[in-house]
Formats: sequence, structure tokens, C-alpha cells
Amino acid sequence: MSRLLLIAARNLLQHRGRTLMLGSAIALVTLLLVLLTSVSRGVQDTMLRAATTIATGHVNIAGFYKITSGQAAPVVTRYEPLVKWVRQEVPEARLVVDRLRGWGKLISPTASVQVGVRGVDIDAEPELARVLSIVQGDLRGLRRPNTALLFAKQAEKLAVRVGDTLTLSAPTVRGANNAVDVEVVAIARNLGLLSQFNIFAPKQTVREIYLLKRDTTGAIQLLLRDPSRAAGVAERLRAGLTRQGYRLLDAQAEPFWMKIPIVTREDWTGQKLDVTTWRDELAMLTWILTAFDTVTVVVVGILLVIIVIGVMNALWISIRERTREIGTLRAIGMGRGRVLLMFMLESGLLALGATTIGALLGVAGAHLLNAARIELSPGFAIFLMSDTLQLAVWPRAVVGAAALISGVITCFALYPAYRAARLRPVLALHDVG
Amino acid sequence: MPEPLSEPPSAERIVQLEGVRKDYRLGAVVVPALRALDLTISRGEFSAIAGPSGSGKTTLLNLIGCVDVATAGRVTVAGQETGQLSDRALTRLRLFQIGFIFQSFNLVPVLTALQNIEFPLLLQGGIGRAERHERVRALLARVGLGDHAEHRPGELSGGQRQRVAIARALVTRPALVLADEPTANLDSKTGGTIIELMQQLNEQDGTTFLFSTHDQQVIKHAHRVIRLVDGQIAA
Repeated sequence: MSRLLLIAARNLLQHRGRTLMLGSAIALVTLLLVLLTSVSRGVQDTMLRAATTIATGHVNIAGFYKITSGQAAPVVTRYEPLVKWVRQEVPEARLVVDRLRGWGKLISPTASVQVGVRGVDIDAEPELARVLSIVQGDLRGLRRPNTALLFAKQAEKLAVRVGDTLTLSAPTVRGANNAVDVEVVAIARNLGLLSQFNIFAPKQTVREIYLLKRDTTGAIQLLLRDPSRAAGVAERLRAGLTRQGYRLLDAQAEPFWMKIPIVTREDWTGQKLDVTTWRDELAMLTWILTAFDTVTVVVVGILLVIIVIGVMNALWISIRERTREIGTLRAIGMGRGRVLLMFMLESGLLALGATTIGALLGVAGAHLLNAARIELSPGFAIFLMSDTLQLAVWPRAVVGAAALISGVITCFALYPAYRAARLRPVLALHDVG
Repeated sequence: MPEPLSEPPSAERIVQLEGVRKDYRLGAVVVPALRALDLTISRGEFSAIAGPSGSGKTTLLNLIGCVDVATAGRVTVAGQETGQLSDRALTRLRLFQIGFIFQSFNLVPVLTALQNIEFPLLLQGGIGRAERHERVRALLARVGLGDHAEHRPGELSGGQRQRVAIARALVTRPALVLADEPTANLDSKTGGTIIELMQQLNEQDGTTFLFSTHDQQVIKHAHRVIRLVDGQIAA
């Protein structure tokens, strides 16, 4: 085996030009795959960070309360024992908080915007202070009632600054509109699409405007130590809540506001809970990830086909050049298996070396691009939820990319290597090249 | 110098061919390369197959060397009838019983002289590195290349390459060494040295040598000359 490896390595070195050309192509495709997966991962991380700050937890327990079958309020009643139960049931949650949720119109002397209102207890959500970048004012201002945090784009549109007063008008379940004056206490840097349509206000203010009781909230949000386990935790919660006697809505990968008309049409009253993940709540945005991943698969797939053809071609040339050598080795007692292994090692070695270099360059490239803080155009910034291009290098994805490309190349080298192994010794020996 | 013999000495047979025919098909035309050939080679022989180009010398060596199979007849090498053997069994027979020396040396260009010679031992397996190297270095010394162990074929002359090829053929201590025109690519002086080396190894170790040639200077070293004309042994 070691001698076959030596032959493979030296043959690669002997044909430096060919090795360099093919190796560069393989390294380039690996680099591209690492960069694209890092972009995709970066978008996912950014989206997750922004989404779990503004709109959703990694897992949410929300639901609807129906006083009559035709009226549905997106609230959870008697939520406090539920929060206690969730804390016991999900030890992997690093934070369990409740938020109120509503939809209203924010009116300034010069303009108005429709916004989702997030009623928060600012002291219970240290995550907000870490993620929101405050450009004006103080987040702690939300401790006072009748205050609001806006995002820069909204403040610009409403032409307000910290200290100005706005009117928040919201329709209640009973069909009336309630209004309250709120003081702008903080303005945060934009966080993409979600920050265009959301503001933060103290829970008390949202409760008052919607005339909600103290034991009622909008959603219980869980932030997990490992967000990738969200689906599993959601599944576990669904089963647990059913066992606890709660009624649950059927699982649907949609944000809560899209479920309102469906629930309103349904013939039931009382409380039903709904367990969702951040992906469900952002189902309309996850197409961005799907689009990125699709582009990655298509681009890398096409390039992979090209280099596979290149490697197979190079191997055919190598076999053609070394037909007599194959004949000699077969004559002196080398079996077919070893001939096959010899050529597989050659392509495997080339693929492994080139993908390793490509992966390392990809990782370095991702770090360089992050360091360069490349600004995104406004359109991209909205969808990618970040002002700058963010790449996230995921070690498993890097190793996976290198392994995938090495594996594909080695697999496709199998056929030429097999043909080499099947050469009849007598014909190979007397090949005149 | 002994006179070429026409009959094999009465000794143990290493090769036996009975009614062997070999045809090649060129499109619709069947070209006979060997016709109803009977031949016996005994252990310890130093024999030459002589004949003009196209007489079937290489075909005969290919059949005896188990790299090709006969169209008809029976080829027995080291007690095994090759027509009945699988590819795996033929490979093992070549590995353990036969050594090859080629006209164009056919060394692996990316391996050193030592590694080339050692290679069949690695294929055989079961021999430790120290023993392998000891055996290879002893052979290198015997073929006069003790100082060239680390040279690659490209760094050696034609004669030196053929010495490496001889050492490679002998390293497994085979019962039979086949050499196809071993001196054809060498000048007459070097060719003479190579044939003398083969003869010396035959005399010292008793290894059977069967080589093809059409060089009269080489033929005269053979104990026995098998003359082929149009695929048949000449009377």
C-alpha cells in the first residue's frame, strides 16, 4: 500500500503541469463551495439573530383565545404556570420570556406607518441590549410606560427623534380602536426587513391598549443554547402540552398573523396553543436561504461536472501513457485489485490535496471578506438583515465540502481505474503508446 | 563455450508445451503465430529461443510467462496447467514462479533501483523490511550496482537499467526467468556483459533462464537453442 501511495505521489509530481492545472481547478471549486456555504450560513446566522431579537424565539408557545367562534385574539391566557412548566420541561433553554404582540398604526405629526408592536419587559431580555445597536437614546427608557423603541428607517420616515411623542393606534378584538401616546426613548440601527415593520414598547403599554388582563400574554419565547435543536424541542413541547391537557392548533409552518383568518373561521371557543419554531415564524423569509442553497448546489454541481470530466480525462491520459507499465506490473505479479488501487490512490491523493488547499483558502477568504466589512446595497441589506456581508465559517461544512468533492472525484476515477485493472497483460505489455 | 543443444537434458521439467497453437485475429483474418508446438524446458536450463522477426518468439515467451493463453494445446508451468487457471491464479504463478526481463527494461520510472527490485517482494508480502533490503542490496551488488540503489531509472544507462531488471526478476528466487530480447536495446559490449551476467546467475543459483534473441553473439552463450520458423520449432 505504501509503495502504491509512493508511486501515485511521484507520478503526480512527475506530471507537475497536469497536476497543477487539475489541482487548481479542484481547489477553486472547493474554495467556492466553502465561500458559498459560509455566505449561506452567515445569512442564516444573521437572520436567526435578527429574527430572535425582533420577532420570535427559537421556539414559541403562542396561540389564540376565542371568546366567540368568530373572534380570535392572538394571546395566551394564564401564562405564568405555563412559563414555569416550560422552564422545567426545556432545560436546554437559556432564556424563557413572554412578549405581547400586536399590530397598529404609529402616527407622527407628518406621517404614519403600520407596525407590529412587541410588548417587552426590557429587564427580562438582556439579549436585546446585546443585539440591538442603539444609535440614539437609551434602551432602558422602555422601563417607563408609554414609551417606544423605533428603528432608524421608521424614525426617518416619521421624522422623529428621541424625546418626540407619537400616537399608537390599535384595533382591539372587539373592533374598537384604542390609542395611546408614546415617547420615543431609543432609536436602533436597522436590522433588515423585520426592522421595517416592528417596534418595541413596554408590556404594560401594549396590555393597556389591547385591554388585556395581567395573566395574559402574546407568546412565550424560548432561546435555546443550540438553535439547531429547535424543531426537536418544539415537537417535545407539543407532546408535553397535549399530555398536560392543553388544546393545540395543528402544526403549520406559518407566522402567527397568517393563522388569524384561518383560526377565526374555525368553530371553537376558548384557548388553543400553538408551538412554532423561528423557521415557521419566518417561513416567508426562509426562501432566501433556500435560494442561496439552490444557487450553491447548481453552481458547484456544474463546476464539479467540469472537474470530474477533467480528472477522468487526465486519468485516461495517464493510463494511456502508462499502459506498458501496467502490463509490466501485471507480468511481475501485481493483481487487478492493486492496479485499480494504484490509480484510485493517484486521483484520491490529488483530490484530497487540492480540496484541503481549497478549503483552507476558502476559510481564509471568508475571514478576509468579513474583515473587509463589505457594505451591501439597500435591497440586499433588507433581505440579508445586515448592512454588511457576513460569512459564517462552519467547520463541519468546510470538512463536508472537502469530503464531498474528494469523494465525487474519487468515485468518478473508479471507472478509468477499473478499465486499467482489466487490461490484458499481454496487450498492455506490447502497447506501443 | 558449450555447443548449443537440440534436446533438453533429462531433468525435472519446469515448462511443458503440448500441441500448442496460438492464433491472432486481425479483423476477419486469422493469423497463426504458433502451430502445434511441443516443447519441454528442464530446471536449470540456460536456453535461447532464436528465429527471425515474426517467427513467434515473443508469443512463445508470453504463453510460458502466463501473460497470454494458448488458442489450443496445453501449457504447463511449474506443474500447473495455465489454461485451467483463473486470472488470480495466473498472477500468483507469475509472482512466485516466474521472473521477467524485457527488451525495454520496463522499470517503474518513479521508483529507485532499490524500490524497483524490492517491488515483487512487496507484492508477495510476508517478508520484513530488513530482510527485503538485505536481499535487494545483495542482488544489487551481484549485478554490479551496489552504489546505484537510490538512482531512478532515468539516471541509469541502458546496461545499468537492464541489470536492475535482472535483479528484479531474480529477487523472488523464481523457478524460471524469461527474457524477451534482453540485449536488443543495448550495444554489443553491454549486451555481452548482460548475457554473461545471466549465465553466471544460472550457473551459481541454478535458475532456469529462457530468453529470446536473434543475435548470434548472444545465441552462442546458450546451452540449448530452440529455433522457431513460422511458429514451429525448426528441425
